[in-house]
Amino acid sequence: MWGGLLVVGLVASITFAVTLGPAEISAGEVWASVLHHLGIGESPLSLLRDGIVWQLRMPRVLTAAAVGAGLAIAGAVMQALTRNSLADPYLLGLSSGASLGAVSVLLLGVTILLPIAAFGGALVALVLTLLIASAAGGLTPSRTVLAGVAVSSLGAALTSFVIFWTAKGDSYREILNWLLGSLAGAGWSAVAISCGAIALVGIPIMIAGRSLDAFAFGDTAAAALGISVGRTRWTLLVATALLTGAMVSVSGSIGFVGLVLPHAVRLVVGSRHRVLLPLSALVGAIFLIWSDTLARTLFDPREMPVGIITAVIGAPLFVLLLTRKSTRV
Amino acid sequence: MSLPTRLLPLAAAAACALALVGCANSPGISPEPAASVAPSAATDYPVSVDNCGFDLNVAAAPERIVTIKSTSTETLLALGLGDRIIGEAFPDGPVPDQWADDAAAIPVISDFAPSQEAVLALEPDFVYGGWESNFTPETAGERAALRDLGIGSYVSPAACKDDAYQPDPLTFDVVFDEITEAGHLFGVDNAAAALVAEQRGDLAGISADTRGLSVLWYSSGTDIPYVGAGIGAPQMMMDAAGLTNIAAEVQDTWTSFSWEAVVDADPDVIVLVDASWNTADSKIAALEANPATANLSAVQDGRYLRIPFAAGEAGVRNVAATASLVEQLSAIGLD
Repeated sequence: MWGGLLVVGLVASITFAVTLGPAEISAGEVWASVLHHLGIGESPLSLLRDGIVWQLRMPRVLTAAAVGAGLAIAGAVMQALTRNSLADPYLLGLSSGASLGAVSVLLLGVTILLPIAAFGGALVALVLTLLIASAAGGLTPSRTVLAGVAVSSLGAALTSFVIFWTAKGDSYREILNWLLGSLAGAGWSAVAISCGAIALVGIPIMIAGRSLDAFAFGDTAAAALGISVGRTRWTLLVATALLTGAMVSVSGSIGFVGLVLPHAVRLVVGSRHRVLLPLSALVGAIFLIWSDTLARTLFDPREMPVGIITAVIGAPLFVLLLTRKSTRV
Repeated sequence: MSLPTRLLPLAAAAACALALVGCANSPGISPEPAASVAPSAATDYPVSVDNCGFDLNVAAAPERIVTIKSTSTETLLALGLGDRIIGEAFPDGPVPDQWADDAAAIPVISDFAPSQEAVLALEPDFVYGGWESNFTPETAGERAALRDLGIGSYVSPAACKDDAYQPDPLTFDVVFDEITEAGHLFGVDNAAAALVAEQRGDLAGISADTRGLSVLWYSSGTDIPYVGAGIGAPQMMMDAAGLTNIAAEVQDTWTSFSWEAVVDADPDVIVLVDASWNTADSKIAALEANPATANLSAVQDGRYLRIPFAAGEAGVRNVAATASLVEQLSAIGLD
């Protein structure tokens, strides 16, 4: 039931979010333009205004949906794998590692593809976090988070250093948007990267994620249920890093989506991953679409980085969840 | 913070010595614009001004000046005070040809905002900054801390960010007042008066474009464009050139904007700010690469005006920059 409702919600969100923006274009004209690009009828808009709909708003809304879904999946999976309700790509250092990889590419002119660099950064950060936590005595929730905080801070410091060293004049402004997370630059290539990552990595994770239920009772219990614990965990963690890297490469590091939304969904539908993962993805998509819509319309014609919005909404939500289920965290 | 304490006696001594020198000498050099004017009447020191809310007291004509950002360097060069600049920092680009020889002799301390120690090491008696943010503990030092070391500091009044001091809107009169005030502080009133007279004449000679063209002042940014807004130096120059700013409604000097609003307005021309780290050509490439902006009529027809980064901030280059905009406009055929 929830699934159907959320799919309808997602489609409705996309449909209405594209009609909102600084330029005054009526909803009917927007939809006619979109239909025109889907091969139905003619666009009633001039070339330029048609561009606003099809080159600016549509790819941005779709990217927001894919990034939101991807971050929510990554968060839910990491929470299960590390048996740690605080785990998410942001808190465990993946986002900051991915940012470092991406910023290095952008500013130092390292010639590898942005998503690959971001993935590399995310993977290195993840491995570092898990190694530190293991070396400190095992992957307990608190150790993992503390290790993640350390790695995250290191990544942020190195990113700041790269920026400090290379940004000239007022070019730091661009980087700032990027660090806070922004979808302003999302075009169709961003849609291809983020939706491609959902299709190639996110959906396989959701299918494989069914085995995550077994992890809830500990590694021994999982092994007793016939799951190859080590291999499953690492496969899923690497896939999560890949997913995070792809998302960060198009949006910068957006916080709280991966942390808060899976919890909220878990409260409503329980923690069976067969249900939890797809619903988290849908909620994440809807949440980020509307956060980004706020980011681009709240101070029209100015824009603000969407990461500010997700944090402003996400932080109090997180506190609320903390107080409601204080026994589990 | 041990450094300032350690340098305090030294700096105080230097300041005392300079005060004596300053009193003994009438303003040293005869600046070029002042050449035609009668020999100068020296400023009566001490001089006090309220500069962005900071009480600035100058006991004697500053002789060892550090400048931060191009606008302050260029103001001093235009006043014929190039030989009093012992170091410049954070230059935004090359100075115009007319001052190139004077500027060549000035050592560049840092390509970025310099640290306090780098500034103090030069033993300046004055620091002239283009932005208030040039005076923080991480950069040249807080103004009060510099004052305690006997070092005066001045921020271009056009760059004051406090509501009570930010010019709203900035006008050429404010820019000229800054030149006059700077001339007074540095003891070259006549040179400043001559420079202002010359600039007023040049400004009056500019005939604004009358076609009612709309314009985007594109300063930087690719994902989120950073543009000239309604109350700053860009707006002042666009007004003087007869251009209508599409971002004029935003009550700020510069602002982050959105591409959607740009495409919606479809400006007739685009002013490209040319900086070494973000060239006009790279902006054209970005505009053409983005499918939404590639269809803008200004992009399609290549209707671009260029302005060097340093000339886009309030200062002695604004009049010439406005003239250049009008000249570039006249080459653009539009009904």
